Amino acid sequence: MPEAAAKTKADYWMADLSQAVDCTVMARGVEVVYEMGSEKIHALQGVDAQIFTGEYISIMGPSGSGKTTFFNVVGGLMKPSAGSVYIDEIDIAQLDAGELAWLRCRKIGYIFQSYNIVKVMTALENVMLPMLFAGVPQDEAQNRAVEILTRVGLGDRFLHTPKELSGGQQQRVAIARAFANKPAIILADEPTANLDLHTGEEIIALMKEMNREEGVTVICSTHDHKMLDISDRIMWMEDGRVKKLARRDEVDIKIDEFEEENKA
Amino acid sequence: MALSSLKLRMGRTLLTLLTVAACCAFLLFLLTAPISDDPAERQMWGLMITLSLLVSVAGVLNTMLMSVTQRYREIGTIKCLGALDSFVMLSVMLESALLGLTGAVFGIIGGLVLSTLVGLLEAGAGVFAAAYWTGLWWKVIVAALVGLGLTTLGAAFPAAVAARMPPVEAMRGEK
Repeated sequence: MPEAAAKTKADYWMADLSQAVDCTVMARGVEVVYEMGSEKIHALQGVDAQIFTGEYISIMGPSGSGKTTFFNVVGGLMKPSAGSVYIDEIDIAQLDAGELAWLRCRKIGYIFQSYNIVKVMTALENVMLPMLFAGVPQDEAQNRAVEILTRVGLGDRFLHTPKELSGGQQQRVAIARAFANKPAIILADEPTANLDLHTGEEIIALMKEMNREEGVTVICSTHDHKMLDISDRIMWMEDGRVKKLARRDEVDIKIDEFEEENKA
Repeated sequence: MALSSLKLRMGRTLLTLLTVAACCAFLLFLLTAPISDDPAERQMWGLMITLSLLVSVAGVLNTMLMSVTQRYREIGTIKCLGALDSFVMLSVMLESALLGLTGAVFGIIGGLVLSTLVGLLEAGAGVFAAAYWTGLWWKVIVAALVGLGLTTLGAAFPAAVAARMPPVEAMRGEK
């Protein structure tokens, strides 16, 4: 079985890497199979990955590479068909729907490509929402929301609704909302894809800053090469597998090569 | 949240409100107006009430289902933020109950006006005598409860759809 052999090899490699550092996410032999009628689609075919506490990791890969699926599994949005995923040492396959909601609420912050700010609520209410779900008292939630909105540079726009905010400002609200419950992981799904170049850079800088100051692990899927530049590690996916996982300083030159590969 | 969501879909909501109101008005009218004791005629009225109730439930079902499907991404988002299924379900039910309550209030007013008018034709000034309105209170309460029950019934399925929706929906890009 060549599949098994490959997995073992990856395990050894992982073991070396993880010796000295804490892991926030640990994925072992993760497989996800979608059933579309009688057809089975193997979105992930045995993914092993360890994501260290406090690091900023970017995930790259063409569409259909399993990037989004990996994301959903790590984010506790979907259970793997096989293998296991540990988030903060919790095996998410063991959790029921209510416990998954708890995990999503306290351990994970989401940043979406299209912001997904609740339209009928103000910026402040949006940031308070996850805290209220977590059972934080109203006053406390409000204080924290004000504090964190000020942090992301929206100190004067608490009471604006998404309609009155630009894309970049909406994404800032989303970042504030993601950090509200002091999660262990921030999951960002192409956070700059809908933004212009300049605003995108600001958002990237903000995310990096929050990553450093709060010590939160950031997992970010992206096509944006500026995003890679600030990452600690970069993971490439292809055909439902991890094609490469490397530190930022190791791949400096190889980014171009990767581009060439992709073009071919 | 339920209130503002109703505001967003004002047009369709108003229409449903109207059917709920009409239904309650009709019910109250039949309860208060003097109807003949002929069993055949009573049966016909009963059938009409049932029909109007069914139409109303279908209306509520449609409105709430639309409200839920249009907010797929929003519901997915709040689930990502840690909302429990029960919270999502409750907020949909609450939205619907709000609609039902408003409909019932309007319906009761309409029904009373209708009953008074018909009473004026049949009994003349006697309509204003207290004796004409015996048992009005429980009739109003029945009509209000029916209005509320109707919307709750119609919202049960959409609420379940919303609650069971996977949070992954939020990850989808622009439609």
